[in-house]
Amino acid sequence: ISGKMSSSNSVVQAQKLVDQLRVEASMERLKISLTAADLVRYCQDHRRSDPLLTGIATSSNPFKDKMCVLL
Amino acid sequence: MACQELQRGETLATLKRESEALKKKLEVERGKLTDVELHQVAEKVEVLGTLSLKTKRVLKGHGNKVLCMDWCKDKRRLVSSSQDGKVIVWDAVCVCVCVCALSQKHGISLPCTWVMACAYAPSGCAVACGGLDNKCSVFPLSLDKNENLAAKRKPVAMHTNYVSGCVFINSDMQILTSSGDGTCALWDVESGQLLQSFHGHTADVLSLDLAPSETGNTFVSGGCDKKANVWDMRSGQNIQSFESHQSDINCVKYHPSGDAFASASDDATCRFYDLRADREVAVYQKDSIIFGASTVDFSLSGRLLFAGYNDYTISLWDVLKGTRASVLFGHENRISRVRVSPDGTALCSASWDSTLRIWA
Repeated sequence: ISGKMSSSNSVVQAQKLVDQLRVEASMERLKISLTAADLVRYCQDHRRSDPLLTGIATSSNPFKDKMCVLL
Repeated sequence: MACQELQRGETLATLKRESEALKKKLEVERGKLTDVELHQVAEKVEVLGTLSLKTKRVLKGHGNKVLCMDWCKDKRRLVSSSQDGKVIVWDAVCVCVCVCALSQKHGISLPCTWVMACAYAPSGCAVACGGLDNKCSVFPLSLDKNENLAAKRKPVAMHTNYVSGCVFINSDMQILTSSGDGTCALWDVESGQLLQSFHGHTADVLSLDLAPSETGNTFVSGGCDKKANVWDMRSGQNIQSFESHQSDINCVKYHPSGDAFASASDDATCRFYDLRADREVAVYQKDSIIFGASTVDFSLSGRLLFAGYNDYTISLWDVLKGTRASVLFGHENRISRVRVSPDGTALCSASWDSTLRIWA
């Protein structure tokens, strides 16, 4: 019985895999030249508001060193 | 009976043939769209200037490995969880002088050790945590220091193996968890009811992350089957799957654009996957990096990728050019988690050296 169970289980598993691969294969994809250009644009458009990238005015940084002394 | 067996055997063979054919088709389709590499598109982008991040705070208070942390939306408080069974809510800004007793606003002791996951509620009024207790519990926070928080513990999620990650969604109403039982699950906080479960990983799920857009309704998960899966939250359907790492995926994190995500793996690499091209578009690696990567997060613009490693260091990768921009030294044991603060002004790292550090 256990052999039969496992064989029907493996059919279920295999069917699931096929269903999953069908979903993945049916999706629409874009060329990297397009998507990469968008990623580059996103980073560039937001670079000015990225303190860890461009640095931050000491006065507006809550973690500036001075804080320790003040407290 | 024998006839049935035979039929099953045949069905199985057909299905196997079909999956092989589909896998090949997938590979071909993905390959067709690689007309250029990400770093080539980024060639004209200016090179990053010198990045000099320094340790601004060291949070000491845990008695053992810090396994996870999460920022509060107020940009100054954070929650951390440890192998010592403790969950601590910190005021990260004044900790430097407030030392332990004061900075440790709320200490919560869980009945088990290894609290592997913790998350701050968007409202700032609660934290969630879980680990080897196979549960994810929510603790409402109050400012009364004498209150016994453990008594207010509310078990929400229940898995059949350890909880590796948790995140609040839909304000404080729902929690999404990932588990060593190979599933992710969505729970209603109020009722503790299971709303949706996500099956597809064939081994422990170690990490999950929500898509940044409110309307996206998708999340990504990664685990010991070396796969990163993208899921539709509503239907429970696994919509995309990426398998290029050679070992366990320890962490996954969406790019702020929502169109890509990064992963960290025991294979000592971090990788970058473009969701619309449906493929890996960058690998962040160096010959000198031989230890596993445990955690990743992006700076606000998505240009920098912070990656924590088992060799005690944090690398800063230029996401677009694929080069390493800087390395942060300071921790004395493995890095378990890195998280950029909500306003992007600081990086917090959690480590097995039992401390957290704030870098800015």
